[in-house]
Amino acid sequence: MKTIGVDVGGTFTDLVCCDMTSGQVVIHKVSTTPHDPSVGVMQGVKELCESAGVKPSEIAYVFHGTTTATNAVLENKIARTGMITNEGFRDIMHIGRHQRVEHYSIMQELPWQNRPPVARRYRKTVAGRLAPPDGRELVPLDEASVRRVAEELKAEGVEAVVICFLFSFLNPAHELRARAIVQEVMPDAFVTTSSFISPQFREFERFTTAALAASIGPKVERYIANLEAALANLGIAGELRIMASNGGAATARMVTEKPALTLLSGLAAGVLGGAWVGELAGRNDLITFDIGGTSADIGIIRNGRFAETDARSTSLAGFPLLMPMIDVHTIGAGGGSIAHIDRGGAFRVGPQSAGAVPGPAAYGRGGNEPTVTDANIVLGRLDPDNFLGGGMKLDAEAAHRVIAELAERLGLPIDEAAEGVLTVVNANMANAIRSRTVQKGIDPRRFALIAMGGAGPLHGADVAAMLSIPEIIVPPYPGITSAIGLLTTDLKYDEVRTQFQTSQALDIDRLSRNFAEMEASLAARLRADRVPDDAVSFLRSGDLRYVGQGYELKIDFPAGPTTPDAMAKVWREFHDRHAEEYGHAFTASVIEIVNIRVTGIGALPKLPPQVAPKGGSLAQAELRKGRCTFRIAGTLKLFDTPVYRRTALPVEVPFAGPAIIVQQDSTTVVPPGAEACVHPSGSIIITLGGRV
Amino acid sequence: MTADQPNGESRIDPITAAVIQGALDNIAIEMGHKLMRMSYSSIIRESEDFGTALTDAQGSQLCECRMSTPLQSGPIPGYIRHLLKTMKERGEVIRPGDVIMHNDPYGGASHGPDVAFCVPVFHNDELVGFSATTAHHLDIGALSPGSCGIVDAVDTYAEGLQFKAIKVYDQGRRVDPVWHILQANLRAPHLVVGDMEAQIKAARIGADRYLELIGTWGLDKLRAAHADLMDYSERLMRNAIRALPDGDYGALGHIDGYLDDPDPARKDLQLAVTLRIRGDSMIVDLTGTAPQIPDKPVNMPFEGTVDCAVWLTLRSILLDSVIYGNIPQNEGLTRPITIVAPKGCLANPEFPAPVIARFCPGNQLADTLMKALAQVVPTKVSAGIGNLRIASFSGFKDGRHWVHMEILEGSYGGRAGLDGMDAVDTLYANTRNNPIEDIEMHLPLRVNRYELREEAVPAGRWRGGIGSVREFAFLDDGGFSIEGDGHKYQPWGYDGGHDGRTASITLVSNDQVAKDLVSKVSYVKARPGDRLICLGPCGGGYGNPLERDPEAVLHDVREGYFGPDTALEDYGVVVSETGIDLAATRAERLSRQ
Repeated sequence: MKTIGVDVGGTFTDLVCCDMTSGQVVIHKVSTTPHDPSVGVMQGVKELCESAGVKPSEIAYVFHGTTTATNAVLENKIARTGMITNEGFRDIMHIGRHQRVEHYSIMQELPWQNRPPVARRYRKTVAGRLAPPDGRELVPLDEASVRRVAEELKAEGVEAVVICFLFSFLNPAHELRARAIVQEVMPDAFVTTSSFISPQFREFERFTTAALAASIGPKVERYIANLEAALANLGIAGELRIMASNGGAATARMVTEKPALTLLSGLAAGVLGGAWVGELAGRNDLITFDIGGTSADIGIIRNGRFAETDARSTSLAGFPLLMPMIDVHTIGAGGGSIAHIDRGGAFRVGPQSAGAVPGPAAYGRGGNEPTVTDANIVLGRLDPDNFLGGGMKLDAEAAHRVIAELAERLGLPIDEAAEGVLTVVNANMANAIRSRTVQKGIDPRRFALIAMGGAGPLHGADVAAMLSIPEIIVPPYPGITSAIGLLTTDLKYDEVRTQFQTSQALDIDRLSRNFAEMEASLAARLRADRVPDDAVSFLRSGDLRYVGQGYELKIDFPAGPTTPDAMAKVWREFHDRHAEEYGHAFTASVIEIVNIRVTGIGALPKLPPQVAPKGGSLAQAELRKGRCTFRIAGTLKLFDTPVYRRTALPVEVPFAGPAIIVQQDSTTVVPPGAEACVHPSGSIIITLGGRV
Repeated sequence: MTADQPNGESRIDPITAAVIQGALDNIAIEMGHKLMRMSYSSIIRESEDFGTALTDAQGSQLCECRMSTPLQSGPIPGYIRHLLKTMKERGEVIRPGDVIMHNDPYGGASHGPDVAFCVPVFHNDELVGFSATTAHHLDIGALSPGSCGIVDAVDTYAEGLQFKAIKVYDQGRRVDPVWHILQANLRAPHLVVGDMEAQIKAARIGADRYLELIGTWGLDKLRAAHADLMDYSERLMRNAIRALPDGDYGALGHIDGYLDDPDPARKDLQLAVTLRIRGDSMIVDLTGTAPQIPDKPVNMPFEGTVDCAVWLTLRSILLDSVIYGNIPQNEGLTRPITIVAPKGCLANPEFPAPVIARFCPGNQLADTLMKALAQVVPTKVSAGIGNLRIASFSGFKDGRHWVHMEILEGSYGGRAGLDGMDAVDTLYANTRNNPIEDIEMHLPLRVNRYELREEAVPAGRWRGGIGSVREFAFLDDGGFSIEGDGHKYQPWGYDGGHDGRTASITLVSNDQVAKDLVSKVSYVKARPGDRLICLGPCGGGYGNPLERDPEAVLHDVREGYFGPDTALEDYGVVVSETGIDLAATRAERLSRQ
């Protein structure tokens, strides 16, 4: 059986084809076609099949990471969307949390007021009101008004409608009834409800998430339909699976119903790819560290499981997203980050980036500002003749020129300035990792850093050293780890129900019943996606907090019948987690279960373990000797540094830094004092013995 | 506040400075993150009315948390300086393991409910700094429930407990008697004491990280980086001031005061600001501001409220973070600025004049300062802002007090090139509202309405921000009080823009009798079914409405902010079913010139 992974990025569309029995992998790259990404995808798939010698009919699955939904929101190219909500609450989305983005600014703009997913003219209100604690009806739904406003929306040319009522997370009846009426009136519109998208409390966040889902619905629907048709045209009869933000895959049908699932599709696959690489190398506590041209993405994997964000930490383009998401922390630091002296005279690197165009000065595309890439060239770490496997020639003189100008302004020698650029950008990245680890009670020194993306392996060792992380893993194909990650997913669907039950007065039967209902619903869903029963499993969890708190921690719940003993264990685990995360537990306080969750998993075939290319001896792998600058005991020194061709490196033969390793999609730096070795799974493992 | 010129020479290399600044920011953010997530009451966890900062041994600030509200982080240096002074006077020694509680509004605090917990940091037996958190507490033992809406306190003693540099931990040991006093004197201690513990935990984490940083860089480098950071901020502020024309620029503003009080000295209170710009420094002179009210708590502590209001407004306008990015908030920023306020005026009251309700006057003072600056930098200000109000709800149920604070947002005035921000916290406040689904789930209250006002848009080439309507109903017996302003004085329009709209609150009793309330209401009992309808203020318009783009007017009509009649009356734009009648609009506008 053969599968294809296609990951659409900002500049390139990465593809990988794998024979799931032999484990043989073929990779391919084409330019992304922003106007219609499916064009690039189809071109890539076609070329990949040819170069891999695979017939389209042999392809059983196509796994796809897409930025269609993300870009639609970022670029505000969304459908004309209508909303039906409670009388008296027309502007929940406009007022938001009444907080400004910036403390110290008069001239700022608020995204939810300047570009709301639903314009006020299309926000219609109708009578009807539900109330806590159980979603009882205070005012019946005015069905005639629902019909009337649906007619208005139809006449106004609205393509998508979202129905958002207060307390629908306790009782979806009004939303469902309104939805049915709207569908009668507007059979062609994309119609969804806030309780279907995310049945959780906090109206601004839920309404906004649902409105975004509706506003991208028609576009995602069309995109998926086109892609399915194009794949069929090419003769691929296999199934399309779309990467979802929760770190699982979803069927085309599921994504069409819940398009918001794909809002962070692109980021999730990278973390999975990193996890897979780590697992093959025998490590399961990992920090995935993916650096591209403009940003660095950080993910945390503990015991082989990736972290998820809590409900209040995810946002896109300034809009909150109340969805289960893989926890990926992004900062503006990458190869294109610009070093500059700001208005107050302080030295900064990023977050502005030269991007791909004009790019770093060394790209020779008109870039005139010193970037991280230029600094790497000045220090000898990037080989101008072997960038992207020699596919792109770098202008070393230009890099020297812009860094020399920077050095003059800083009053430093050129090598100090170049190394300073790296120190500052690396420190920014280390701080970002610290905020996901040390600040959450996780000791990074027990973790391995997976250095991926084009620039990850250049910076991995230095960043790891700043955090006392002893080990860096460089995947076989650092630049396409996301595409690889696509081939390691399962189908994953989530259900959530708000509880507001406390440890003092717990209705265990209700808990058991709700878990059972959620699992039954997920099972039906997976059965409809033709997943055999023995491939289905469930993970239960709950969002817990001390009564009165406003933030929850996610705690695993045991499978099977919920018993007092099982709950006692859950409470204990909550206290422990609270102590770990915040440094303190209020053990005498009552605990509240805010939501319970079930993830239904449908196992899919996965990429088999990889085997490293045989390679030769170190001497054979050595391309040439370079001259690289590193800081040793406080001073910068020039080192004779061998440049190795990655594919020719011997397996399980350790070698000492300094060394530079070049390959088609990345460059790896092994600093002096470190040791590197190709692992049998194909990854390079760098150990920072002496330097830590 | 010294007038020293930074010499422009750095003490350490720019790279180390950048790395240390990043590490400091990271620490303050971690403290804030943990405090917010651990705390119990919505005023901290939802409204984010808290602050965290690290300072050096003298109280000079190293960093503050970006999530926190400016009026909380800003005063921390003052808290530290005054607790040091108080303890020195008493001959008390600060030791490792101590945690010191402080809330003295005549000793650095913004007002009594904002209680600080300060953890001293020792390195090799030397006191090298403090890690501090502040937070607004739900109740501090004042004369009526809650810590807002205490508008009838006659002196600082009536405002609640006063903590003047009290050790709550002494060399690591909990000082139990203090905690017993707290338990016995605060309403809702189950929430307030939990919040205080969260504050202490977060401050201790900051102290640990501070020590780690000293371990990494050494104290000398850290001090050098701190001095550089202050010079950096100072340089930016001085450069910004130097770019302004020298001169004196004055503005007046007013607060309602106690509109239903027979004594004229307690209402219609003037705020006066004169900016004296000289070279790269300025004096903010508040002479002319009304005298203090000796027995009503709208006086503003000079340190902790007035200074923060001034600094925040100046940096938001002169060093707007949209243009300048994040500038470290520290003493450097304030060095070029001298604030003058005569003793005994509203902006510099004398002990024991009460101050607990200083929030609205302080924000109005910030607005008056912006009005003075409008003469100097008209494209960097907004027209007059709508002030905030706070409604405090409470009750006694099942043997326990419940207390809930609602911060009712204001709105911004129009800006050069931008309409005003609608329904948002203004100037020195930046809290978050409470989700309706949280309120109703946990309190005997119902929210019947939350949306924008209609037909209340202050006209301007760039229109004023639109205020909100928020309506509450009591589901049970309870009570409420109101601490607000802006029920009488409209936000100022700028350069031909219309003045803004005042705010109002109407109490509709359960037998449907309506009564308009003034902006300060002392504790009133409420019955089930009683409703409060709160209309938020709308900020002033900016520029001549006849110059507003007709398309923008059409947009406002289509969005339902006002109808075609208003479009014609305020803007001279003729809007029909099909769009703008351009010819008619041109004729209309011409006829009005």
